Amino acid sequence: MIRFAQAGKTYRSLVRRREITALAGLDLEIARGEVVGIAGPNGAGKSTLISLLLGFLAPSEGSVTLEGLAPRRYVERHGVGYLTELVNLPGQWRVQDALHRLAILAGVPAAARRGRVADTMARLGIEEHATKKIKQLSKGNLQRVGLGQALLGEFDLVVLDEPTHGLDPVWTARFRDIVVELRRPDRAILIASHNLDELEMLADRVAILDHGRLQRVVGHATEASDASVSWRLVLEGDDDIGAAMPGAVPIAGRPGSWRVLAPRAAMSRQLAALLQSGAILVECVPEQGRLASAFREAVRQ
Amino acid sequence: MTRDTSPFRYLLVQALDLARAQLLLFVVVSAGLAGVIWKIFGDDVGRAFDAADMVGALLAGTLLIAILMAAGGVAGTDIKQGYYRALFSKPMAPWWFYLQRWLLGGLVVLTIPVWLGLAFAVAFGKGTGLSAEVFGVVALSYLLIGGAVLLFSTLTSRDWLVAFLLYFLQARLHDAEQIFTALSRDVPAAMALALKVLPPFDLVSARAPLPSGGDLAHVLLYGAGMVAAALLLLRFRPLGSGGRA
Repeated sequence: MIRFAQAGKTYRSLVRRREITALAGLDLEIARGEVVGIAGPNGAGKSTLISLLLGFLAPSEGSVTLEGLAPRRYVERHGVGYLTELVNLPGQWRVQDALHRLAILAGVPAAARRGRVADTMARLGIEEHATKKIKQLSKGNLQRVGLGQALLGEFDLVVLDEPTHGLDPVWTARFRDIVVELRRPDRAILIASHNLDELEMLADRVAILDHGRLQRVVGHATEASDASVSWRLVLEGDDDIGAAMPGAVPIAGRPGSWRVLAPRAAMSRQLAALLQSGAILVECVPEQGRLASAFREAVRQ
Repeated sequence: MTRDTSPFRYLLVQALDLARAQLLLFVVVSAGLAGVIWKIFGDDVGRAFDAADMVGALLAGTLLIAILMAAGGVAGTDIKQGYYRALFSKPMAPWWFYLQRWLLGGLVVLTIPVWLGLAFAVAFGKGTGLSAEVFGVVALSYLLIGGAVLLFSTLTSRDWLVAFLLYFLQARLHDAEQIFTALSRDVPAAMALALKVLPPFDLVSARAPLPSGGDLAHVLLYGAGMVAAALLLLRFRPLGSGGRA
């Protein structure tokens, strides 16, 4: 559905002719039915990627296509459910009015419009703010209005830029449910976020950007290299775990706790041997998510 | 879900926005102007001037500001504030959206002579002074000044200010040209060139007859050219250009 082919964007200042490469040589394809995350440190090129995708910027090199169309052409024909990183709507608009206007633009038929707006406000818990002006909203409520307007149109492409920015933990969890509900075989969802746990939970694949370049794509098939994942093991027993598991290091101040950095298969074998010899497993958790490990590796490169 | 794909689906919202702000203001100001003049001069004004003169004189004094208000910030504010991201991620082309808004602004400006005429008819009982020529002047003024505002709106949120400065510059250059002509002296080449290049604002005035022939063609082509240039920029220049994403 989406194809970035050697896409890049370089900003040039008019006066000093200074160049800043925000994105370079991006090759990425996203199919319908996928949820793809975009991760990267600040300034990595995430927002530029999204602006290229929506046609708000033109690539300086390469191409971006959606269903074979230039981005603007696609957006003007089909629309995209888009939540901006900083929700920008005219401050004097009232919440319900804003959603009504944007529902009209989204192409929601007149007969369904009132109901769709009401459902969206209920879904995002903003009914009580319906008559408030946009400028009176807290950051979290504004974010929910932004998310609401992105969901009005039932679009085949949904792009969410830092969707949980400013949301409290309850609504962060609710947002995850919403993304799960949004999944459809004919819909692609793109989520740009700093929150790696969130991406790990929601995305099928995560593209990691750094310095404007795609460093790697982490997915179900290409996960972080096993060796990079650190596990915390807590065992009860007299066995000398350090001897049985090369590379295991005791965690200071936590008797019976060991930190292990080992390939998963090798660690499993050694752990099985220890358990067979009478040790009791209390805890075995990755100290970092796979994505966090992959991110660390990619950004370090 | 079946989608409402009518290109006019947002027109009513834009019309209501204009009615609530600019149109209402124009009605109130027109009534206020007639009221103030009646209060100060009483029936003397009605005896000394006919309604057409009064409407023409008041239009000459208010039309520029009215057009700047009706056309100002059409696209520039949305672009500068970033509102375009929510608006144009929806299936709507920016050039079409802003063309509708600009045309509605023109319709609102076209009602100004009506409000002024009605206010004077009520205050002085001498008719509305409306004629096709009055509406022609208003329409051509909107095409030129409003067209300039729309063009600058694609580049800056201070579109109305740039258009005003351009109008002011052209008016002063035109005054200077008339002085040179009256003194039978050659107009400096740079000034003549500037007057050729700048929009011909001087050709349309509420105090002068409607331009005709070559002047009318100049006004129409220049105005339409600015509107077309604005629409081309909105169509082909990405809205996020000119700044970091």
